[in-house]
Amino acid sequence: MAKLSLMFENKLVKEVPIGNRPVTIGRSPDNDLPVDNLAVSNHHARVYYEGSRLVVEDLDSLNGTFVNDLRVERATLHDGDSIWIGKHHIKVDATADSVIPWDSGRKAAAPKINETMVLDTKARRDMLQQAAAMGERSQFSPGRLKMPTLVVLGGRVDQKEYVLTNKLTVIGRSPMATVRLRGWFKPQVAAQINQRDDGYYLGTGAKIPLVNGSPIQGPTRLNDGDLIEVSGIRMNFIFRE
Amino acid sequence: MQIVSSGVTDVGRVRTNNEDSFRIVEPLSLFVLSDGMGGEAHGEIASTMTVETIEKYCSKMDESKEDADATLQGTVADSWSPRTKRLQDAVFQANLNIFQSAQKHPEQRGMGATVTAGWINGSKLSIAHVGDSRAYLLRTGGLQQLTNDHSLVAEQVRRGILTPQQAEESDMQSVLLRALGAHPEVEVDVDEIDLLPGDVLLFCSDGLTRMVTEPEIAGKLQSETDPATAAQKLVDFANERGGLDNVTVIVARIQEESKGWFSWLRRDSGKKV
Repeated sequence: MAKLSLMFENKLVKEVPIGNRPVTIGRSPDNDLPVDNLAVSNHHARVYYEGSRLVVEDLDSLNGTFVNDLRVERATLHDGDSIWIGKHHIKVDATADSVIPWDSGRKAAAPKINETMVLDTKARRDMLQQAAAMGERSQFSPGRLKMPTLVVLGGRVDQKEYVLTNKLTVIGRSPMATVRLRGWFKPQVAAQINQRDDGYYLGTGAKIPLVNGSPIQGPTRLNDGDLIEVSGIRMNFIFRE
Repeated sequence: MQIVSSGVTDVGRVRTNNEDSFRIVEPLSLFVLSDGMGGEAHGEIASTMTVETIEKYCSKMDESKEDADATLQGTVADSWSPRTKRLQDAVFQANLNIFQSAQKHPEQRGMGATVTAGWINGSKLSIAHVGDSRAYLLRTGGLQQLTNDHSLVAEQVRRGILTPQQAEESDMQSVLLRALGAHPEVEVDVDEIDLLPGDVLLFCSDGLTRMVTEPEIAGKLQSETDPATAAQKLVDFANERGGLDNVTVIVARIQEESKGWFSWLRRDSGKKV
């Protein structure tokens, strides 16, 4: 039989089994699992079986119901999940003879790999807002758009400046290169810049580029002002507003 | 351009179902990979629907007419080539199919899928993707990521809230911001990349990248020149590391052009190099 364990500051407050009726959670004493806290709505959430699934449903509470840090309106629960309501933590214990054995092979997975969830628009906004509040530094203030630019200081190329707009920027003699090198003996691909989630990474091509005088050791994240030298070309990587 | 490719999909060591699907359509140089989600094997339905829809849709493209007036489900930027637009449209169609199926069959509600598709025309690669399955390009030893994950943690990295390291250790790596099947419309990322002989393309579900690091992937792709062997070895690698999720890998190698004037002699001899 599955059960919910209400914890407060790591101490067990109350435990209830989950049977055929839904288990209600909220501040009001008529709940199966009463939680005496001002951050908790009178009828905050409920947990019940839907077929073989164990489900938690938020009852339009003010501060929301969270499952493993994710705010939910309705979500499937698995053994080991944590429901957070206000400062209270409710452990879900769904081992042993659950109503119908449900894909028990899945549960053997390490806790890090959760079932994939897609956030709807509102939940996504809420989540990102929370995440932003939790974040230490925000590199991207919405007002200013920074254009990553290569400013050529020396060497034979086809332009004085290149604004990086692509996922992949090739520096070389190849006709499809963004930064086209001139010269018979230049390599097709001397080096390349890959736009990744956290910035622009300079990688080797036929040559090993130098960043601020030192040869790179694998893909290297470029910082504002870095000096890049490769195949006879010298460029500055800068963020222009 | 001559392309040699191969794909492998595996349930992994922990899951009971394989909800990944893939298709390689060699005559078209079309590669599609999809990672399905949703309880009770609905993920399999979603990912199969995805790869089949895209295969069918792209196969119907008529080369002789300008495709710009084909029925487009969503908005497509004009600056892309007809191939890219067609591929994006195929993904819109797949999304709609999954969504409508879940409307008709309520038990399928919540099913969805990621998709990463590549279509090569001459030396141009068109890529379309939704979700956290990836496409990579290995070129002169460096592995470049061609897609941005549509996951919560990746978005947090992009916004400077998390470092890539923190993202990898997060418990919320599976939370997606976009997937096929969730809504009738979906935003599909597309891109075009110029390919060079010697390039190696890798399409993979997160079952690979969760278990194996990028330098390790790059190493394997460089040492195994046969795509079938490379794909199998990458899958084995993921499984050796725990195989916590389904894993699917497609490897496509753009053949080097033969160099020198002896090349026409070699080709005539008809021997496999």
